[in-house]
Amino acid sequence: MTRVRVTGMCQGHARCIALAPDTFDFDDEGYAVVRPGCEVVTEERAAAVQRAVLNCPEAAIVLDAEGGDPVD
Amino acid sequence: MTDVRNEDDAAIGERTRTFDYHDHRLDGIFDEYRWLHERCPVGRSEELGGFAFLAKLDDIFAAEQDPETFSVAPSMLLPPFATDDPLIPIDIDPPAHGPYRKILLPAFTPRRIADLTPGMRDTARELAQACVDAGTADVAATFCLPFPLIVFSRLCGFPEEDWPRFGRWLHDIIYERLTDPPRARASGDELRAYFDELLRRKAQEPRREDLISVLLDAEVEGRGLTHAELISYCYLLFLAGLDTAAWSIRSGLRYLGLHPEAQAQLRDDPSLIPAAAEEVLRTMSPVQGMARTCVRDTVVRGQEIRAGERVVLLFGAGNRDPEAFEDPDEIRFDREKNRHLAFGGGIHRCLGSNLGRRELVVALEEFLATTPWFRCTDPEQPWFGVGPLTLEFTERP
Repeated sequence: MTRVRVTGMCQGHARCIALAPDTFDFDDEGYAVVRPGCEVVTEERAAAVQRAVLNCPEAAIVLDAEGGDPVD
Repeated sequence: MTDVRNEDDAAIGERTRTFDYHDHRLDGIFDEYRWLHERCPVGRSEELGGFAFLAKLDDIFAAEQDPETFSVAPSMLLPPFATDDPLIPIDIDPPAHGPYRKILLPAFTPRRIADLTPGMRDTARELAQACVDAGTADVAATFCLPFPLIVFSRLCGFPEEDWPRFGRWLHDIIYERLTDPPRARASGDELRAYFDELLRRKAQEPRREDLISVLLDAEVEGRGLTHAELISYCYLLFLAGLDTAAWSIRSGLRYLGLHPEAQAQLRDDPSLIPAAAEEVLRTMSPVQGMARTCVRDTVVRGQEIRAGERVVLLFGAGNRDPEAFEDPDEIRFDREKNRHLAFGGGIHRCLGSNLGRRELVVALEEFLATTPWFRCTDPEQPWFGVGPLTLEFTERP
């Protein structure tokens, strides 16, 4: 099981919102947030989340194994 | 051994001494970037008053995350946009930077840009239809330039009757600042005088749904923006928002006009257009480099950079860094990993990036949907800038 989070590195490029809209939303200033309830990456959303990770210019999206260690 | 290396360094220095990333120098620059990646990822040029440059994506990224070492003063623009004053917010360092930037962040969120999209589509379709009807057209003048001008001027609240005056100001300030600085300066003065008058007038009028109204009512640290700050912000919006979008649309259409297989692919599967737009932005970014000033001695990739040196972040080179991108010089619509920095990064990430991306995607979508087929009749027309791009419209082969 993998969890996803957006770190303080986010600068609002909105690539994740374009590539994985089911998982990411944005706040009033355009910074990305994980949609409430979407922190655990389900199988259906995994490929899109992975694309968001690979296309975030700030490397601001982090995947953690359920135990808490970051996953590559 | 040492002698050989010194000789090598001298030869490298001799080649980078005249490096520049503007105007006609962009002609062969992709070959130059390839060479920089192989031989000189951190180097120095004596052009434009002298500057160090960073070519690797990682180094550019790291510099952008470190405003305490790499300041944006006196300007990100090298040479500056026909003014000695810092432009708000791009030429401001933290902590003053944040409050200025926050003013317009809400106006450029993905949702606000989505709201503008239907109007954008109508404009793009209308302009594209006029191109097809002409049979052959300079689409830079009839599509690439007017489309973002109309979209962005409406968003900002620049009155329509003034639009015909904008082209010369843009050209002089952005392109003539290298070749004819007095002319650029004269147009810069005219543009500031224009905003001086427009802002005074709009301050007296009822507020509208436009960015100028947002700026007029904005507060930074408990006070309104001064008249000089308002002029600076508008001047920046004008210069940042119009030319860059036109450039990216033009470079995308030129690519498709020269690569029939790519054009056919996007016509057959328009869902590829957003990915294609990312590749256009990555490989032909309208902003090939932005400057910083090193404010404390540092070392990048083993090269010392001293306090006081100007340092250019070569986004165009970083976006073709073979360590960051597989087949970096290839435009691939199926590229899975694409962390390009066409809009920069860190706290100065292009404020209008959501708008710029949407304008490019909508422009490509509507241009392809409205035209049956097109080809570039003059492959010698350069990939860069906003000069003529002649397309001939035909039936699909």
